[in-house]
Amino acid sequence: MFEERLKEFEPIFYPKSIAVVGVSATSIKAGSLWVIDLRSAGFPGIIHPVGSSGGRIADHEIFPNLRLIPGEVDYVIVSVPRQSALELLDDCAAKSVKAVHFFTAGFSETDTQQGRELEEQMLEKARQGNVRIIGPNCIGVYCPEHKIPFLMGILGESGSVGFVSQSGGVAAKLVTIGIARHINYSKGVSFGNGIDLDASDFLQYLAADPKTKVIGAYLEGTRDGTRLFNTMRKVAEVKPLVVWKGGRTEAGAQAAMSHTGSLASSAAIWSAMLKQAGVVEVHSLEELTDTLLIFQQLGHGQGTRAAIIGGLADGGGGNSVAAGDACMENGLKIPPLSFETKQELTDLLGEVGSILRNPVDVSQAQFRGLPTLFQAIDLVVRDSISDIVLIQEDVEILLPIYSRQGLEEINEFLIELGRRENKPIIVVLPHGSGEAERLQIEQRLLAASIPVFCSMERAAKAVFRLNQYSCRQEAK
Amino acid sequence: MVKSQNLLTEVESKELLKKAGIPVIEAKLARSKKEAISISREIGFPVVLKISSSDVVHKSDSGGVRLGLTNATQVGKAYSQITSSVKQAYPEARIDGVSVQAMAPPGVEVIVGMSKDAQFGPVLMFGLGGILVEVLKDVSFRIVPVTERDAREMIKEIKGYPVLQGYRGQKAASIPALEQLIVKVSQFVEKNPQIEELDLNPIFAYPDKVVAVDARIILE
Repeated sequence: MFEERLKEFEPIFYPKSIAVVGVSATSIKAGSLWVIDLRSAGFPGIIHPVGSSGGRIADHEIFPNLRLIPGEVDYVIVSVPRQSALELLDDCAAKSVKAVHFFTAGFSETDTQQGRELEEQMLEKARQGNVRIIGPNCIGVYCPEHKIPFLMGILGESGSVGFVSQSGGVAAKLVTIGIARHINYSKGVSFGNGIDLDASDFLQYLAADPKTKVIGAYLEGTRDGTRLFNTMRKVAEVKPLVVWKGGRTEAGAQAAMSHTGSLASSAAIWSAMLKQAGVVEVHSLEELTDTLLIFQQLGHGQGTRAAIIGGLADGGGGNSVAAGDACMENGLKIPPLSFETKQELTDLLGEVGSILRNPVDVSQAQFRGLPTLFQAIDLVVRDSISDIVLIQEDVEILLPIYSRQGLEEINEFLIELGRRENKPIIVVLPHGSGEAERLQIEQRLLAASIPVFCSMERAAKAVFRLNQYSCRQEAK
Repeated sequence: MVKSQNLLTEVESKELLKKAGIPVIEAKLARSKKEAISISREIGFPVVLKISSSDVVHKSDSGGVRLGLTNATQVGKAYSQITSSVKQAYPEARIDGVSVQAMAPPGVEVIVGMSKDAQFGPVLMFGLGGILVEVLKDVSFRIVPVTERDAREMIKEIKGYPVLQGYRGQKAASIPALEQLIVKVSQFVEKNPQIEELDLNPIFAYPDKVVAVDARIILE
């Protein structure tokens, strides 16, 4: 689907040469930073700085004008005042540039006649000159595979998650949270006012892109709702699409107007549209990243019947109760363990001090050693009453009981067990006083494709949304 | 009174809807008391009389609706009462006459509406009639075109859905018939982009069918 988009967007995500306009050899300008960041990231193509000062920057000659660059230019990053935008588009057309990204702001988002008129003129020039525009008022493209970093040189590992964002700030957070939580992106784009290429265009490209397996989006509004709806409906048929719509309240909608010049429709109509299109709707950056993470790690849902181990050691009773509430309130089913499993757990742990239903509290295992704990977890995971297992590890409680090494052994066991049983295991690592160790454990588990969340609520919501998409796909 | 040049009367609205295959209780225009009585006899009692004027949007607020009329005398009397009380409430309203229609047996009351969204175009709304839609805003929306599956989902999405499945002796409503109606309304507004707003309120839903009892269309 949308295969024709692949070739069209090749110069945007895989340019052979990039010109950066608005560079100075003497003063620090945004353009200069783009050049330095592209270079430090190891961009494999040619970089051409352009700026009236002349001179050199990071071993590159600064051309006084785009037209003076020898050879072809695929892609241009622009960071010059808006007054120069039209002239620059003439230069791009003369140079047969394929696409231009305007970092420059001060257009329709200022809600002025002047800003809107300038955008119309830019669009007209771009159409005549056969140049595509990204922005204005945005931070543009992120493509770790082709070593195109985001603003300030942020560059994570290349992966399978694609994103589009109307906001540069949200886009940057997606990337930095991604680096922290192993959410690895194939491509991303912040498209700001989106006067030419907008959410629909980039979603179509990501749907066609073979590197992208799941797509996230942050949107504030659209200029063509019908096209966005039709696009989302088609995209969601082939790949999971997770959308966070900002500006759902009056206060948010007004902010969205001045942020990206977006018109408001009611939140209810947006939600209806997203549901109708088969999109998974989320309501915050936290939910967006949680949902992208679980799709990346697990691919698709296998059901919402959850077995929960609320406690591995002391304090597991209350945690198990709370975990049960959190999961049920967020749409998961918690069937009781089978009679056989319950019997075996009783034989293993005794009746006192444990909860051997579902959620399960296996804290009595702490007095019988790790092999007993592993056996208990194994019994719960292998019980066919569940499609998925959620295990809470409270590092600050476990650390004094099992020590660092014991904790590592527990996690290696979980990784191995998940693979062996072909049943997804999710680990919940609540924040607490053992933060340094908690982070290390999180990294290890994430790298082994286990989804990790810091609360049972967030884990349950993510599991529910994963299955929401898969159920809808199956119902076709 | 809401002055609207583009408001179609109930009779006109229902004619258009009927042609589109949307089940309605047909209404006929009577320009005189005599005509009202003869149409009533033709339809069969009991009947309902409503004011017919494109200047009157909320018919019952001005005494413009009389239900459950069981004979010619009652119809004649209702005709005079309706026209005089509307004239009193809205002296400037142009009155075409009175619409006459069969009195539908009671069913589960639901509403289907269409309005245009600045970003997404025509949007359908579904809800239960009465207090549930007015006070609790228990409604669902879908963008046109609405498929059968969308219609099914929008019906099931409202909190009041159990009411449609039968409640305290009240009979269940036919969900397939409601789905069909929603899909047909979607096709109707898609084919007629000049329609700015549409309201089927109320629709009576029965175990085997649904029918729009009142209808209102506003053109661009």
